[in-house]
Amino acid sequence: MTEPKPRPKRNLKPKGIMLRPLAVTLRVTLRTTKNSPATVLYPWERLIIADGYRGRPGLVMDKCIGCGICEKICPTTCIELVEVELEGKGKVKRPQVNLGRCMMCGYCAEYCPKNAMLVTPEYELATYSRQDLIYDPFRLQYEDRPGCEVDLIEIKPSELGTGAKGHSIKGATAGLRDLPQVEDKKCISCSKCEKVCPADAVTMIEVGKNEKGRPIKRPKFDGEKCVACEQCLDNCPKDAITMKEV
Amino acid sequence: MYGLYEFVQGISVWLMGIVGWIFDFITLQGVADWFRSSGVVWFLTNFIVALLVFIVGFLVSITFIWEERKVLGRLMDRRGTQVGVLGLFQNFADGLKAFVKEIIIPTEVDKWVYDAAPVILIGFSALMIGLIPMSDSWMLSNLPAGLLMVFAIFSIAPFAILIGGWASNNKYTVMGGMRAAAQLISYEVPLLLSLVGVVVLVGSFSFADIVHFQQSHTWLVIPQIIGFIVFTVAAMAEVERIPFDLPEAEAELVEGWMTEYGGMRFGLMMLSEYIRAYAACSVAVLLFLGGWDGPSFIWPEIWFILKVLMLFALWIWVRGALVRVTTKQILGLGWTRLLPLALVNLAVAVTLRVTGVF
Amino acid sequence: MTEMWLNMGPQHPMTHGLWNLRVKIDGETITEAEPVIGYLHRGWEKLAEHRMYPQIIPMADRLCYGASMSWSHLYCMAAEEMMGVEIPERAKYIRTIVLEAQRIGSHLMWLAALGTDLGSYTIFLYPMRERELFLDLMQNLCGARMTYNYPRIGGVRNDVPPNFERDFTKVLDHFEKRIPDYEALCDESTIFRMRTEDVGKLTAEQAKNLGVTGPNLRGSGVDYDIRRDDPYEAYADIDFNVCVQQGCDAYARYRVRMDEMYESVDIIRQAIKKMPDGPVRVRPPRTAPKGKTGFAHVEDPRGEGLMYIIGNGDDRPYRLKVRSPIFVTVSAAPYMLKGYKVADVPSIMGSVDMCLGETDR
Repeated sequence: MTEPKPRPKRNLKPKGIMLRPLAVTLRVTLRTTKNSPATVLYPWERLIIADGYRGRPGLVMDKCIGCGICEKICPTTCIELVEVELEGKGKVKRPQVNLGRCMMCGYCAEYCPKNAMLVTPEYELATYSRQDLIYDPFRLQYEDRPGCEVDLIEIKPSELGTGAKGHSIKGATAGLRDLPQVEDKKCISCSKCEKVCPADAVTMIEVGKNEKGRPIKRPKFDGEKCVACEQCLDNCPKDAITMKEV
Repeated sequence: MYGLYEFVQGISVWLMGIVGWIFDFITLQGVADWFRSSGVVWFLTNFIVALLVFIVGFLVSITFIWEERKVLGRLMDRRGTQVGVLGLFQNFADGLKAFVKEIIIPTEVDKWVYDAAPVILIGFSALMIGLIPMSDSWMLSNLPAGLLMVFAIFSIAPFAILIGGWASNNKYTVMGGMRAAAQLISYEVPLLLSLVGVVVLVGSFSFADIVHFQQSHTWLVIPQIIGFIVFTVAAMAEVERIPFDLPEAEAELVEGWMTEYGGMRFGLMMLSEYIRAYAACSVAVLLFLGGWDGPSFIWPEIWFILKVLMLFALWIWVRGALVRVTTKQILGLGWTRLLPLALVNLAVAVTLRVTGVF
Repeated sequence: MTEMWLNMGPQHPMTHGLWNLRVKIDGETITEAEPVIGYLHRGWEKLAEHRMYPQIIPMADRLCYGASMSWSHLYCMAAEEMMGVEIPERAKYIRTIVLEAQRIGSHLMWLAALGTDLGSYTIFLYPMRERELFLDLMQNLCGARMTYNYPRIGGVRNDVPPNFERDFTKVLDHFEKRIPDYEALCDESTIFRMRTEDVGKLTAEQAKNLGVTGPNLRGSGVDYDIRRDDPYEAYADIDFNVCVQQGCDAYARYRVRMDEMYESVDIIRQAIKKMPDGPVRVRPPRTAPKGKTGFAHVEDPRGEGLMYIIGNGDDRPYRLKVRSPIFVTVSAAPYMLKGYKVADVPSIMGSVDMCLGETDR
């Protein structure tokens, strides 16, 4: 740090007993009488909200696959996946947000792989009872507008200093997302991972027959479709699956 | 044009005439004669005049509250109160709120004293409003010692504050009450001394005489400028406004000596503070700024009210710009700075009188 | 009159937060003082042991809500040192700019609180009006006005919005013209000077022994600033003065913070000019090896903040220790208060800039 230039000296002694404060306040009074003061007359006027303002979370029902990443990443555990009945899909799990606990951090939107969770500019959320603050998936819906989706860019540590452009943190291509891998010895071919995968990324492949003649199946994970939601990891009865980091 | 007293007298004669005619009609001759007698008319006239003077003074005091909120707001770069047209309805909203609030009385207060303190305060303050004349005709009576009377009533406040703070059974209010008593008593002396200069020049204690003197000679602010400044500072300390509002310093003592009063008692005490401010401002206008003197295209009463409001705007400006002063500095200021200045002012007045300038 | 203990708090209109200051007074003079804290304890360090590393960042914002970015940034620095992550250059400059803007915002709020304590609501409203401008800048940057959730382990959340430079330059030019207004209301007013000069004296020896840091230490004449002595982020490339006053009283501490506001404006201007291009975020690992530690200290607007984090082998930390500057300064309060009057308490504690969120955690 080179030598910084010194600050010019100002004269700060009090003049008269109170002349300078009176002069400053007189100037402000005259200015606010001529122009209008700095007050925003809420609720008749409102402040202008920026584009990416983080109000309450919002949901685009068509894009959500019920993977549960938002539930895992929420710091206050305010999101819960509940069963709802959707036309055309039957009974599926969709997120329900308890706004009484939500701290509007934006993580659900940041980590959602399909951009189904949004940050909305709604901030007038007062209700008359605690139960009204729990937003079920239908009430949580919000129309997608530009600026509501959160799509952030990061680079890999190996690319630091190379001037690389960076990729979205939701991972556009297969090589940029964590992928599950199965330990052969522990797997019992129960196919539970195939049933719980929300993105249809698991297919069971036959690798042979055991002594009783039943087929031994091992899961194969599709890198393009997998969203790294770890549902297979949580539901495997033998803890045979682990995540391989990029 | 007729003065207020003659006007109201005419009205009451007319009114009593109607009442007497009704009683004549139902053949109660004696009662009708009694109603038309001069005693009843005199009583009715004085009653109505007193009511009118009191109501106008009261309304001007309430206007002070509105003016303070609006001017202070603009000074701080915000709008003041917005309830109603231009915010004029705010006082009534506040009064309504104070009425419907629940009054919580702590258990171990000294009951008689606790109840007496707000009564004394507001009663004497209301008495003061009537004694202040607004013009030659708009006054209750031209007391020959009007000035003395107003300030005698003005000085009862430290007594009421002290006993109110003590009776509330609370460490904070005791401290607030004692600080208030010390401050108010030590500022009485410069306050009264600054007025003595005016009295020496004019030669009388009555308000009407002082204003007539200013109408014929000059406004007394010019020869008595030091007295005017001392009076303003001492009056701001007496009424407990910032920069002198240590007795109700919110940062340390919550609300000072008024902490334990709730509901309309608190409302009345706040009102009495503004009434005392009105009294002090009007006395300053009457004594130094010419009273109701002014060009005759506006009524003298309106001139008086305008002058009082403008002087109060000066007080609000000072309030907006300065921070609070501590007890040690307040008492030091009162005894060591204001008292010598008041004495200097008195010497100037005596000199002017003796050398025949006035 | 015998001495009595007076409780100032915990319910009190003195604006600084939820704590209890017990003073023993003899008439109006203070003979002893005893601060009692803990009313706002939320178990933060225990909560952090059960959260994944990214989830702790918005929690760290709520440690001190007046200057929230400095605490989440401190946590990110500690975690980056533990995991061995290196951040891009542009991220360092953005963090510097945002930290200095936080410093200005925190000092403005301190000035507003000091004005309220001393009785003048004008000194409360003028700085708050300027703070709105800085909050609007932060809102454009990351979408929230007070608890930002902006630094990440490995950089910052997103790149700057368009018109960033133009907005910042406008706000800084406007703000630099307003600081003389505050000085006119405070410095050049005899009554303010009477109230803050010669009260709350804390000598340099006492301050060093008690562990007081930051503007409180620099107001007592000790020249120590972590931004210059142990630079982090982009501070090594930026020229600025360290503001030291010799007075040791409340007025000196006030003066240090006003000078720091001017310096922060300079730092932001230089950083905006020198900012390089590039990415702003690096992908961190999910887990940390068992037993690995990370340590970071920064110059918080209130003093020296410090975090120490120990990894556990999976994606949650084993222990996260926070050292908050005001926790230490509160213990220095009795030394500053003894011998003065009760009426001086607001000006002394106001000049110390208490923020209870980080004290109680």
